[in-house]
Amino acid sequence: MRLAADAPLTARDNTRRVAAALALGVHALFVLLLVFGVSWQTEHPAPVMVDLWQALPAAAPPPQRDPRPADPVKPEPAPTKPAPAPDPEPAAEVPPPKAPDIALEKKRAETERLKKIKAIEQAEARAREAALQAESDALKKARDTQQSEQKRQALLRQMEADELKQSMAGEAAANAARAARQAAAQAASARQSALSQSIGKYRDLISATVRGHTRLPDNLSGNPQVRCLVKLLPTGDVVSVRVTQSSGNPAYDAAVVRAIQQSSPLPLPPEREARAAFVPELSLTHRPQE
Amino acid sequence: MNPELGQDLSLLHLVWNASLPVQFVMLLLLGASLMSWWVIFIKLFALKRARQLTDQFEHEFWGGSDLNTLYQRISGGRESVCEMGRIFEAGFREFLKLRGQSGQSINVILDGTRRAMRATYQRELDHLESHLSFLATVGSVSPYVGLFGTVWGIMIAFIGLSSVAQATLAQVAPGIAEALIATAMGLFAAIPAVVGYNRYTHDIDRLANRMESFMEEFSNILQRQASKAG
Repeated sequence: MRLAADAPLTARDNTRRVAAALALGVHALFVLLLVFGVSWQTEHPAPVMVDLWQALPAAAPPPQRDPRPADPVKPEPAPTKPAPAPDPEPAAEVPPPKAPDIALEKKRAETERLKKIKAIEQAEARAREAALQAESDALKKARDTQQSEQKRQALLRQMEADELKQSMAGEAAANAARAARQAAAQAASARQSALSQSIGKYRDLISATVRGHTRLPDNLSGNPQVRCLVKLLPTGDVVSVRVTQSSGNPAYDAAVVRAIQQSSPLPLPPEREARAAFVPELSLTHRPQE
Repeated sequence: MNPELGQDLSLLHLVWNASLPVQFVMLLLLGASLMSWWVIFIKLFALKRARQLTDQFEHEFWGGSDLNTLYQRISGGRESVCEMGRIFEAGFREFLKLRGQSGQSINVILDGTRRAMRATYQRELDHLESHLSFLATVGSVSPYVGLFGTVWGIMIAFIGLSSVAQATLAQVAPGIAEALIATAMGLFAAIPAVVGYNRYTHDIDRLANRMESFMEEFSNILQRQASKAG
Protein backbone atom coordinates (compact mmCIF):
# COMPACT_ATOMS: atom_id res chain seq x y z
CA MET A 1 0.00 0.00 0.00
CA ARG A 2 1.37 3.39 -0.96
CA LEU A 3 1.12 6.08 1.65
CA ALA A 4 -0.60 9.11 0.28
CA ALA A 5 0.62 11.50 2.89
CA ASP A 6 4.30 11.10 2.06
CA ALA A 7 3.65 12.86 -1.17
CA PRO A 8 5.37 16.22 -0.89
CA LEU A 9 3.51 19.31 -1.85
CA THR A 10 4.86 20.57 -5.11
CA ALA A 11 6.68 23.88 -5.08
CA ARG A 12 6.95 23.65 -1.34
CA ASP A 13 10.46 25.16 -1.04
CA ASN A 14 9.55 28.00 -3.26
CA THR A 15 6.63 28.87 -1.00
CA ARG A 16 8.87 28.82 2.02
CA ARG A 17 11.35 31.16 0.47
CA VAL A 18 8.66 33.59 -0.62
CA ALA A 19 7.18 33.48 2.88
CA ALA A 20 10.55 34.24 4.45
CA ALA A 21 11.07 37.19 2.14
CA LEU A 22 7.62 38.50 2.93
CA ALA A 23 8.22 38.17 6.67
CA LEU A 24 11.44 40.14 6.34
CA GLY A 25 9.60 42.72 4.28
CA VAL A 26 6.95 43.16 6.95
CA HIS A 27 9.62 43.74 9.57
CA ALA A 28 11.53 46.17 7.45
CA LEU A 29 8.30 48.08 6.87
CA PHE A 30 7.61 48.18 10.58
CA VAL A 31 11.09 49.41 11.40
CA LEU A 32 10.83 52.10 8.76
CA LEU A 33 7.49 53.15 10.20
CA LEU A 34 9.02 53.37 13.66
CA VAL A 35 12.09 55.28 12.53
CA PHE A 36 10.31 57.80 10.34
CA GLY A 37 6.79 57.75 11.71
CA VAL A 38 7.60 58.51 15.32
CA SER A 39 9.25 61.87 15.77
CA TRP A 40 12.13 60.80 17.94
CA GLN A 41 13.44 63.74 19.84
CA THR A 42 16.83 64.35 18.36
CA GLU A 43 17.17 68.09 18.65
CA HIS A 44 17.37 70.14 21.78
CA PRO A 45 16.88 73.85 22.04
CA ALA A 46 20.15 75.61 22.57
CA PRO A 47 20.52 76.84 26.16
CA VAL A 48 19.96 80.54 26.58
CA MET A 49 22.23 82.50 28.88
CA VAL A 50 20.77 85.53 30.55
CA ASP A 51 22.76 88.08 32.49
CA LEU A 52 20.75 89.71 35.20
CA TRP A 53 21.79 93.25 35.87
CA GLN A 54 20.59 95.32 38.74
CA ALA A 55 21.43 98.47 36.90
CA LEU A 56 23.53 99.39 33.98
CA PRO A 57 27.21 99.39 34.77
CA ALA A 58 28.53 102.78 35.62
CA ALA A 59 29.51 104.84 32.68
CA ALA A 60 33.24 105.00 32.42
CA PRO A 61 34.82 108.33 33.16
CA PRO A 62 35.63 110.20 29.99
CA PRO A 63 38.88 108.83 28.73
CA GLN A 64 41.85 111.13 28.83
CA ARG A 65 42.51 112.27 25.36
CA ASP A 66 46.09 113.27 25.81
CA PRO A 67 47.91 111.16 28.33
CA ARG A 68 51.03 113.28 28.28
CA PRO A 69 50.45 116.24 30.51
CA ALA A 70 53.28 118.75 30.50
CA ASP A 71 55.49 116.43 28.68
CA PRO A 72 59.15 116.92 29.44
CA VAL A 73 61.06 118.22 26.48
CA LYS A 74 60.79 115.57 23.89
CA PRO A 75 63.90 114.62 22.06
CA GLU A 76 63.88 114.55 18.29
CA PRO A 77 61.31 112.12 16.86
CA ALA A 78 62.56 108.75 17.89
CA PRO A 79 62.37 105.82 15.52
CA THR A 80 60.53 103.83 18.12
CA LYS A 81 56.81 104.05 18.35
CA PRO A 82 55.47 106.77 20.53
CA ALA A 83 54.07 105.60 23.81
CA PRO A 84 50.53 104.65 23.05
CA ALA A 85 47.80 106.61 24.66
CA PRO A 86 45.96 104.48 27.20
CA ASP A 87 43.24 102.87 25.21
CA PRO A 88 39.87 104.20 26.22
CA GLU A 89 38.15 100.94 25.28
CA PRO A 90 39.22 98.72 28.22
CA ALA A 91 38.40 101.50 30.64
CA ALA A 92 34.86 101.54 29.34
CA GLU A 93 34.44 97.81 29.48
CA VAL A 94 36.13 96.74 32.65
CA PRO A 95 34.37 97.86 35.78
CA PRO A 96 36.24 100.70 37.45
CA PRO A 97 37.09 98.91 40.74
CA LYS A 98 39.67 97.06 38.79
CA ALA A 99 41.33 100.29 37.74
CA PRO A 100 44.46 99.88 39.89
CA ASP A 101 44.96 96.43 38.46
CA ILE A 102 44.67 97.78 35.00
CA ALA A 103 47.17 100.49 35.73
CA LEU A 104 49.57 97.97 37.17
CA GLU A 105 49.14 95.69 34.27
CA LYS A 106 49.60 98.46 31.83
CA LYS A 107 52.76 99.46 33.59
CA ARG A 108 54.03 95.93 33.52
CA ALA A 109 53.20 95.53 29.87
CA GLU A 110 54.90 98.79 29.12
CA THR A 111 58.11 97.86 30.90
CA GLU A 112 58.11 94.50 29.26
CA ARG A 113 57.67 96.01 25.89
CA LEU A 114 60.48 98.44 26.55
CA LYS A 115 62.72 95.63 27.64
CA LYS A 116 61.94 93.72 24.51
CA ILE A 117 62.62 96.69 22.31
CA LYS A 118 65.89 97.32 24.06
CA ALA A 119 66.96 93.74 23.67
CA ILE A 120 66.14 93.80 19.99
CA GLU A 121 68.03 97.00 19.51
CA GLN A 122 71.02 95.67 21.35
CA ALA A 123 71.05 92.57 19.23
CA GLU A 124 70.85 94.69 16.15
CA ALA A 125 73.71 96.86 17.31
CA ARG A 126 75.79 93.83 18.06
CA ALA A 127 75.11 92.39 14.65
CA ARG A 128 75.97 95.67 13.02
CA GLU A 129 79.13 95.91 14.97
CA ALA A 130 80.15 92.41 14.01
CA ALA A 131 79.44 93.06 10.39
CA LEU A 132 81.36 96.26 10.59
CA GLN A 133 84.31 94.56 12.17
CA ALA A 134 84.44 91.94 9.51
CA GLU A 135 84.18 94.50 6.83
CA SER A 136 86.86 96.68 8.23
CA ASP A 137 89.14 93.68 8.66
CA ALA A 138 88.70 92.80 5.06
CA LEU A 139 89.40 96.34 4.11
CA LYS A 140 92.53 96.37 6.16
CA LYS A 141 93.71 93.25 4.54
CA ALA A 142 93.13 94.78 1.13
CA ARG A 143 95.51 97.58 2.14
CA ASP A 144 93.10 100.12 0.91
CA THR A 145 94.06 102.10 3.86
CA GLN A 146 92.79 105.49 3.25
CA GLN A 147 89.48 104.63 1.80
CA SER A 148 88.89 102.00 4.34
CA GLU A 149 89.88 104.40 7.06
CA GLN A 150 87.49 106.90 5.69
CA LYS A 151 84.80 104.36 5.39
CA ARG A 152 85.45 103.13 8.83
CA GLN A 153 85.33 106.59 10.18
CA ALA A 154 82.09 107.15 8.42
CA LEU A 155 80.74 103.91 9.68
CA LEU A 156 81.91 104.63 13.15
CA ARG A 157 80.26 107.97 12.97
CA GLN A 158 77.17 106.35 11.72
CA MET A 159 77.38 103.85 14.52
CA GLU A 160 77.83 106.53 17.06
CA ALA A 161 74.86 108.31 15.66
CA ASP A 162 72.91 105.10 15.78
CA GLU A 163 73.88 104.55 19.37
CA LEU A 164 72.89 108.03 20.23
CA LYS A 165 69.60 107.54 18.50
CA GLN A 166 69.03 104.34 20.35
CA SER A 167 69.73 105.85 23.69
CA MET A 168 67.47 108.71 22.80
CA ALA A 169 64.77 106.32 21.74
CA GLY A 170 65.09 104.46 25.02
CA GLU A 171 64.77 107.70 26.88
CA ALA A 172 61.72 108.60 24.88
CA ALA A 173 60.13 105.28 25.58
CA ALA A 174 60.85 105.62 29.27
CA ASN A 175 59.32 109.06 29.22
CA ALA A 176 56.27 107.75 27.47
CA ALA A 177 55.91 104.97 30.01
CA ARG A 178 56.16 107.44 32.84
CA ALA A 179 53.56 109.58 31.17
CA ALA A 180 51.25 106.62 30.74
CA ARG A 181 51.66 105.69 34.38
CA GLN A 182 50.92 109.20 35.41
CA ALA A 183 47.87 109.24 33.21
CA ALA A 184 46.60 106.00 34.67
CA ALA A 185 47.18 107.24 38.18
CA GLN A 186 45.39 110.43 37.31
CA ALA A 187 42.49 108.56 35.83
CA ALA A 188 42.24 106.39 38.91
CA SER A 189 42.37 109.36 41.23
CA ALA A 190 39.80 111.14 39.10
CA ARG A 191 37.52 108.18 39.33
CA GLN A 192 38.11 107.98 43.03
CA SER A 193 37.28 111.59 43.49
CA ALA A 194 34.18 111.28 41.34
CA LEU A 195 33.16 108.33 43.44
CA SER A 196 33.62 110.07 46.73
CA GLN A 197 31.83 113.06 45.32
CA SER A 198 28.90 110.90 44.34
CA ILE A 199 28.88 109.22 47.74
CA GLY A 200 28.88 112.55 49.49
CA LYS A 201 26.10 113.83 47.28
CA TYR A 202 23.88 110.87 47.96
CA ARG A 203 24.68 110.98 51.66
CA ASP A 204 23.41 114.53 51.69
CA LEU A 205 20.42 113.52 49.63
CA ILE A 206 19.54 110.74 52.06
CA SER A 207 19.93 113.07 55.01
CA ALA A 208 17.69 115.60 53.34
CA THR A 209 15.05 113.00 52.57
CA VAL A 210 15.07 111.73 56.12
CA ARG A 211 14.98 115.23 57.47
CA GLY A 212 11.98 115.93 55.29
CA HIS A 213 10.13 113.08 56.96
CA THR A 214 11.20 113.83 60.48
CA ARG A 215 8.55 115.22 62.83
CA LEU A 216 10.51 116.88 65.57
CA PRO A 217 9.12 116.27 69.04
CA ASP A 218 8.08 119.30 71.06
CA ASN A 219 10.43 118.76 73.93
CA LEU A 220 13.53 118.80 71.78
CA SER A 221 16.25 121.13 72.90
CA GLY A 222 19.54 121.85 71.21
CA ASN A 223 20.83 119.89 68.26
CA PRO A 224 21.28 116.33 69.55
CA GLN A 225 22.81 113.74 67.29
CA VAL A 226 21.34 110.31 66.59
CA ARG A 227 23.35 107.58 64.93
CA CYS A 228 21.38 104.83 63.25
CA LEU A 229 22.38 101.64 61.54
CA VAL A 230 20.14 101.17 58.51
CA LYS A 231 20.02 97.91 56.66
CA LEU A 232 19.24 98.46 53.01
CA LEU A 233 18.39 96.39 50.01
CA PRO A 234 20.22 97.24 46.80
CA THR A 235 17.02 98.89 45.62
CA GLY A 236 17.20 101.35 48.48
CA ASP A 237 14.37 99.76 50.45
CA VAL A 238 14.89 99.95 54.19
CA VAL A 239 15.01 96.55 55.82
CA SER A 240 15.61 97.55 59.40
CA VAL A 241 16.68 100.57 61.42
CA ARG A 242 18.53 100.36 64.69
CA VAL A 243 19.67 103.22 66.90
CA THR A 244 23.33 102.75 67.71
CA GLN A 245 23.88 106.01 69.50
CA SER A 246 20.92 107.64 71.15
CA SER A 247 20.41 111.35 71.33
CA GLY A 248 19.21 111.08 74.90
CA ASN A 249 15.73 111.96 73.81
CA PRO A 250 13.75 108.74 73.14
CA ALA A 251 10.98 110.60 71.37
CA TYR A 252 13.47 112.12 68.95
CA ASP A 253 15.13 108.73 68.42
CA ALA A 254 11.78 107.18 67.59
CA ALA A 255 10.96 110.10 65.28
CA VAL A 256 14.19 109.61 63.37
CA VAL A 257 13.65 105.86 63.05
CA ARG A 258 10.14 106.49 61.79
CA ALA A 259 11.40 109.09 59.35
CA ILE A 260 13.98 106.70 57.95
CA GLN A 261 11.37 104.02 57.53
CA GLN A 262 9.03 106.45 55.83
CA SER A 263 11.70 107.62 53.40
CA SER A 264 12.14 104.11 52.09
CA PRO A 265 13.28 103.62 49.36
CA LEU A 266 16.26 105.83 50.00
CA PRO A 267 17.93 107.42 46.99
CA LEU A 268 21.05 105.52 46.06
CA PRO A 269 23.74 106.34 43.54
CA PRO A 270 23.39 104.51 40.25
CA GLU A 271 27.05 103.45 40.19
CA ARG A 272 27.58 100.11 41.75
CA GLU A 273 30.86 100.91 43.47
CA ALA A 274 29.39 104.07 44.93
CA ARG A 275 26.40 102.13 46.13
CA ALA A 276 28.75 99.77 47.94
CA ALA A 277 29.19 102.51 50.52
CA PHE A 278 25.48 102.35 51.30
CA VAL A 279 24.04 99.05 50.49
CA PRO A 280 24.29 96.31 53.01
CA GLU A 281 24.42 98.63 56.00
CA LEU A 282 24.43 102.36 56.28
CA SER A 283 25.44 104.26 59.35
CA LEU A 284 23.38 107.40 59.32
CA THR A 285 24.07 110.35 61.58
CA HIS A 286 21.21 112.70 62.01
CA ARG A 287 20.69 116.07 63.68
CA PRO A 288 17.56 118.19 63.76
CA GLN A 289 19.42 121.02 62.12
CA GLU A 290 22.28 120.98 59.71
CA MET B 1 23.10 53.71 29.66
CA ASN B 2 24.23 57.22 29.14
CA PRO B 3 22.78 59.69 31.62
CA GLU B 4 24.04 62.77 29.85
CA LEU B 5 21.51 65.31 28.78
CA GLY B 6 20.53 66.07 25.25
CA GLN B 7 21.38 62.69 23.86
CA ASP B 8 20.17 61.23 20.68
CA LEU B 9 16.86 59.43 21.11
CA SER B 10 16.67 57.66 17.80
CA LEU B 11 15.42 54.09 17.70
CA LEU B 12 18.73 52.52 16.82
CA HIS B 13 20.51 54.54 19.47
CA LEU B 14 18.04 53.39 22.11
CA VAL B 15 18.31 49.75 21.11
CA TRP B 16 22.07 49.93 20.89
CA ASN B 17 22.42 51.48 24.33
CA ALA B 18 19.97 49.16 26.05
CA SER B 19 21.21 46.98 28.85
CA LEU B 20 22.19 43.42 28.00
CA PRO B 21 19.09 41.57 29.28
CA VAL B 22 16.85 44.01 27.46
CA GLN B 23 18.87 43.55 24.30
CA PHE B 24 18.58 39.79 24.70
CA VAL B 25 14.83 40.05 25.12
CA MET B 26 14.62 42.25 22.04
CA LEU B 27 16.62 39.77 20.03
CA LEU B 28 14.40 36.94 21.20
CA LEU B 29 11.29 38.84 20.28
CA LEU B 30 12.69 39.81 16.91
CA GLY B 31 13.39 36.15 16.21
CA ALA B 32 9.93 35.13 17.38
CA SER B 33 8.34 37.82 15.27
CA LEU B 34 10.29 36.84 12.18
CA MET B 35 9.43 33.16 12.67
CA SER B 36 5.78 33.82 13.29
CA TRP B 37 5.49 36.00 10.21
CA TRP B 38 7.24 33.30 8.24
CA VAL B 39 4.75 30.74 9.48
CA ILE B 40 1.89 33.12 8.80
CA PHE B 41 2.92 33.53 5.20
CA ILE B 42 3.62 29.82 4.69
CA LYS B 43 0.21 28.95 6.09
CA LEU B 44 -1.46 31.68 4.09
CA PHE B 45 -0.10 30.25 0.86
CA ALA B 46 -0.69 26.64 1.87
CA LEU B 47 -4.30 27.16 2.91
CA LYS B 48 -5.08 29.29 -0.09
CA ARG B 49 -3.73 26.57 -2.33
CA ALA B 50 -5.60 23.87 -0.41
CA ARG B 51 -8.88 25.76 -0.79
CA GLN B 52 -8.33 26.30 -4.49
CA LEU B 53 -7.44 22.65 -5.12
CA THR B 54 -10.33 21.44 -3.02
CA ASP B 55 -12.74 23.61 -4.99
CA GLN B 56 -11.27 22.26 -8.19
CA PHE B 57 -11.50 18.65 -6.99
CA GLU B 58 -15.08 19.02 -5.79
CA HIS B 59 -16.01 20.54 -9.09
CA GLU B 60 -14.48 17.58 -10.93
CA PHE B 61 -15.89 15.00 -8.55
CA TRP B 62 -19.46 16.24 -8.67
CA GLY B 63 -19.20 17.08 -12.33
CA GLY B 64 -20.18 13.56 -13.21
CA SER B 65 -16.79 12.25 -14.29
CA ASP B 66 -16.02 8.59 -13.93
CA LEU B 67 -14.58 7.59 -10.56
CA ASN B 68 -12.10 5.17 -12.11
CA THR B 69 -10.58 7.76 -14.44
CA LEU B 70 -10.45 10.29 -11.62
CA TYR B 71 -8.69 7.76 -9.41
CA GLN B 72 -6.21 6.92 -12.11
CA ARG B 73 -5.44 10.51 -12.80
CA ILE B 74 -4.88 11.33 -9.14
CA SER B 75 -2.84 8.27 -8.22
CA GLY B 76 -0.81 8.29 -11.42
CA GLY B 77 -0.22 11.91 -12.29
CA ARG B 78 0.67 13.28 -8.87
CA GLU B 79 -0.32 16.66 -10.24
CA SER B 80 -1.36 19.15 -7.55
CA VAL B 81 -3.29 16.80 -5.36
CA CYS B 82 -5.35 18.35 -2.61
CA GLU B 83 -6.15 16.81 0.77
CA MET B 84 -9.59 15.78 -0.36
CA GLY B 85 -8.11 14.16 -3.46
CA ARG B 86 -5.75 12.13 -1.32
CA ILE B 87 -8.61 11.01 0.89
CA PHE B 88 -10.53 9.97 -2.20
CA GLU B 89 -7.49 8.14 -3.52
CA ALA B 90 -6.90 6.24 -0.27
CA GLY B 91 -10.58 5.32 0.09
CA PHE B 92 -11.06 4.26 -3.49
CA ARG B 93 -7.88 2.18 -3.48
CA GLU B 94 -8.95 0.37 -0.34
CA PHE B 95 -12.42 -0.14 -1.85
CA LEU B 96 -11.01 -1.62 -5.05
CA LYS B 97 -8.64 -3.89 -3.14
CA LEU B 98 -11.36 -5.19 -0.83
CA ARG B 99 -13.82 -5.69 -3.68
CA GLY B 100 -11.17 -7.58 -5.59
CA GLN B 101 -10.97 -10.12 -2.78
CA SER B 102 -13.93 -12.47 -3.19
CA GLY B 103 -16.40 -13.22 -0.44
CA GLN B 104 -16.31 -9.89 1.39
CA SER B 105 -19.57 -8.49 2.67
CA ILE B 106 -20.51 -4.89 1.83
CA ASN B 107 -20.16 -3.87 5.44
CA VAL B 108 -16.60 -5.12 5.67
CA ILE B 109 -15.67 -3.36 2.43
CA LEU B 110 -17.20 -0.09 3.53
CA ASP B 111 -15.66 -0.24 7.01
CA GLY B 112 -12.22 -0.81 5.54
CA THR B 113 -12.70 2.04 3.11
CA ARG B 114 -13.83 4.42 5.86
CA ARG B 115 -10.87 3.48 8.05
CA ALA B 116 -8.46 4.17 5.23
CA MET B 117 -10.11 7.53 4.52
CA ARG B 118 -10.16 8.44 8.19
CA ALA B 119 -6.44 7.73 8.54
CA THR B 120 -5.58 9.88 5.56
CA TYR B 121 -7.89 12.58 6.80
CA GLN B 122 -6.09 12.63 10.17
CA ARG B 123 -2.70 12.79 8.52
CA GLU B 124 -3.73 15.60 6.21
CA LEU B 125 -5.31 17.54 9.03
CA ASP B 126 -2.17 17.15 11.08
CA HIS B 127 -0.15 18.44 8.19
CA LEU B 128 -2.44 21.41 7.75
CA GLU B 129 -2.25 22.26 11.43
CA SER B 130 1.50 21.97 11.69
CA HIS B 131 3.26 25.13 13.01
CA LEU B 132 -0.02 26.61 14.16
CA SER B 133 0.93 25.81 17.75
CA PHE B 134 4.02 27.96 17.23
CA LEU B 135 1.80 30.90 16.35
CA ALA B 136 -0.27 30.24 19.45
CA THR B 137 2.83 30.17 21.63
CA VAL B 138 4.23 33.39 20.19
CA GLY B 139 0.85 35.05 20.53
CA SER B 140 0.45 34.19 24.16
CA VAL B 141 4.03 34.40 25.44
CA SER B 142 5.74 37.26 23.63
CA PRO B 143 3.79 40.03 25.43
CA TYR B 144 5.07 38.64 28.68
CA VAL B 145 8.60 38.42 27.38
CA GLY B 146 8.39 42.01 26.20
CA LEU B 147 6.97 43.03 29.55
CA PHE B 148 9.87 41.34 31.26
CA GLY B 149 12.29 43.34 29.15
CA THR B 150 10.44 46.54 29.97
CA VAL B 151 10.40 45.86 33.69
CA TRP B 152 14.07 45.09 33.62
CA GLY B 153 14.90 48.24 31.66
CA ILE B 154 12.86 50.46 33.98
CA MET B 155 14.50 48.82 36.96
CA ILE B 156 17.92 49.63 35.54
CA ALA B 157 16.81 53.18 34.79
CA PHE B 158 15.66 53.78 38.33
CA ILE B 159 18.72 52.17 39.83
CA GLY B 160 20.80 54.56 37.73
CA LEU B 161 18.63 57.41 38.96
CA SER B 162 19.35 56.59 42.59
CA SER B 163 23.06 57.28 42.16
CA VAL B 164 22.66 60.89 41.05
CA ALA B 165 22.08 63.78 43.40
CA GLN B 166 19.63 65.71 41.31
CA ALA B 167 16.99 63.53 39.71
CA THR B 168 15.53 64.83 36.50
CA LEU B 169 13.14 63.26 34.06
CA ALA B 170 15.80 63.45 31.37
CA GLN B 171 17.88 60.91 33.25
CA VAL B 172 15.21 58.20 33.30
CA ALA B 173 13.48 59.02 30.04
CA PRO B 174 15.93 57.24 27.72
CA GLY B 175 15.95 54.15 29.91
CA ILE B 176 12.18 53.98 29.99
CA ALA B 177 11.88 54.63 26.28
CA GLU B 178 14.35 51.89 25.53
CA ALA B 179 12.53 49.54 27.90
CA LEU B 180 9.19 50.28 26.31
CA ILE B 181 10.60 49.29 22.94
CA ALA B 182 10.74 45.75 24.33
CA THR B 183 7.01 45.82 25.05
CA ALA B 184 6.31 47.26 21.63
CA MET B 185 8.27 44.46 20.04
CA GLY B 186 6.46 41.87 22.11
CA LEU B 187 3.10 43.22 21.02
CA PHE B 188 4.27 43.47 17.45
CA ALA B 189 5.17 39.80 17.54
CA ALA B 190 2.05 38.74 19.41
CA ILE B 191 -0.76 40.53 17.62
CA PRO B 192 -0.21 39.08 14.12
CA ALA B 193 0.48 35.68 15.61
CA VAL B 194 -2.83 35.67 17.47
CA VAL B 195 -4.76 36.99 14.50
CA GLY B 196 -3.09 34.47 12.21
CA TYR B 197 -3.70 31.60 14.61
CA ASN B 198 -7.41 32.38 14.92
CA ARG B 199 -7.89 32.87 11.24
CA TYR B 200 -6.03 29.71 10.27
CA THR B 201 -7.70 27.48 12.82
CA HIS B 202 -11.02 28.72 11.47
CA ASP B 203 -9.95 28.06 7.87
CA ILE B 204 -8.67 24.61 8.76
CA ASP B 205 -11.91 23.84 10.59
CA ARG B 206 -13.89 24.70 7.52
CA LEU B 207 -11.63 22.57 5.34
CA ALA B 208 -11.94 19.70 7.81
CA ASN B 209 -15.73 20.01 7.72
CA ARG B 210 -15.69 19.87 3.96
CA MET B 211 -13.46 16.81 4.05
CA GLU B 212 -15.67 15.02 6.56
CA SER B 213 -18.77 15.75 4.54
CA PHE B 214 -17.00 14.48 1.45
CA MET B 215 -16.00 11.28 3.27
CA GLU B 216 -19.62 10.62 4.23
CA GLU B 217 -20.93 11.36 0.78
CA PHE B 218 -18.19 9.29 -0.90
CA SER B 219 -18.98 6.37 1.44
CA ASN B 220 -22.60 6.54 0.33
CA ILE B 221 -21.55 6.49 -3.31
CA LEU B 222 -19.26 3.51 -2.72
CA GLN B 223 -22.02 1.69 -0.83
CA ARG B 224 -24.37 2.16 -3.74
CA GLN B 225 -21.73 0.91 -6.19
CA ALA B 226 -20.93 -2.14 -4.02
CA SER B 227 -24.57 -3.12 -3.58
CA LYS B 228 -25.16 -2.62 -7.34
CA ALA B 229 -22.22 -4.82 -8.19
CA GLY B 230 -22.91 -7.36 -5.48
